[in-house]
Amino acid sequence: MELDELKSLINQKLTTAHAGRSGDDIAQILTRKTVSVIDKLKRSLWIEILCCIGAILLFAYFGFAGDNHAYQVYFSAFTVLTTIFLVIVIYLLKRTQQLSATALPVKSNLQTIVNIIETFMKRYFQFTMGLMPACCVFALLLIYHDHGSIPDAGTIFGTYFKSSWQMVLFLVVYAGALATGIYYFTRWYLKRLYGRYVEQLKQCIRELEEQD
Amino acid sequence: MPDEKEFIALLNQHQKIVYKVCNLYMDQHADREDLFQEITLQAWKAYGNFRGDAKFSTWLYRVALNTAITFFRKEKRQPDIYATDQVPDNHENSHDPIEEQVKAMYAAIGNLSKIDKAIVMLYLDDYDYKEIGEMMGITANNVAVKMNRIKTRLKEETQKNEANYNYQTRWN
Repeated sequence: MELDELKSLINQKLTTAHAGRSGDDIAQILTRKTVSVIDKLKRSLWIEILCCIGAILLFAYFGFAGDNHAYQVYFSAFTVLTTIFLVIVIYLLKRTQQLSATALPVKSNLQTIVNIIETFMKRYFQFTMGLMPACCVFALLLIYHDHGSIPDAGTIFGTYFKSSWQMVLFLVVYAGALATGIYYFTRWYLKRLYGRYVEQLKQCIRELEEQD
Repeated sequence: MPDEKEFIALLNQHQKIVYKVCNLYMDQHADREDLFQEITLQAWKAYGNFRGDAKFSTWLYRVALNTAITFFRKEKRQPDIYATDQVPDNHENSHDPIEEQVKAMYAAIGNLSKIDKAIVMLYLDDYDYKEIGEMMGITANNVAVKMNRIKTRLKEETQKNEANYNYQTRWN
């Protein structure tokens, strides 16, 4: 039999297979929390915002109140970097909130969700990876220019390394290993959080765009 | 701030739409409950922007389908595979051939992709291709092509499901 011949019976089956809810039940549901990925993302963005604000306040405090010039430059630079990230996170949160408040056509809705999640993943990845060279460059520059003001720096390096090339080699290997570790960990973490979900949504978009 | 009482009254009046979507997209009772809650909450969040340009039922369909398509079911539960014995049934152990065909068709619809399910659901509710296209964000022509393919697939699947069902009842 064809779908058209069974249309009304299927329709009836779909609507009768439930226990109706009262107005009170619906009112009670309205007090609960959503479990959608977009709302989870929204919660993550809020956590990022709070962490960023905390970090900015801490970095700014060390940047301005610290008595060591090296630390002042180091923490001021990170105050700026974290502020840039904060702006991006606030922009993403705003876009997510706009999406929750509108009923877009299915395809546009899917595209917007994919776009928001991918932007979040991209910026998060860039920020995490950007911190690595920034930390190394600032640390090396400050050690080079201002090593006198860093307490015990000479003693620490003098104890473990007999010559400067050994120290440079150690720093290169250390930075390389740390960067590789952070690169793969961040990629794995983001993929685990959103990768499979984004792929499923992309599959739906491909299906919608498909012209048989 | 949107009027909560007005929203509850409207949703109560149109809750069959939400149940239809839940029944079609989820095969487990707990999953249906989760999806019902999620659709209700998403509709409530978006209700402030509902201007009344479209009918409430059309708007609710859009919210419900968007939520169902993007809903991530908890991994531990059963896969989304419909079998004829999982179909909601008001006439258990019925040997009515029409009822068996409905069961087979229902199971076949349950095995469609999320997008195809949405198109079938709107088609069953007598929306025309243009309206379905507007809701899905594709052209009416594309809807017609997809609907043709879906109908052919459902016919084949139904025949298979029916054959399985007849085989099972014969040997049980």
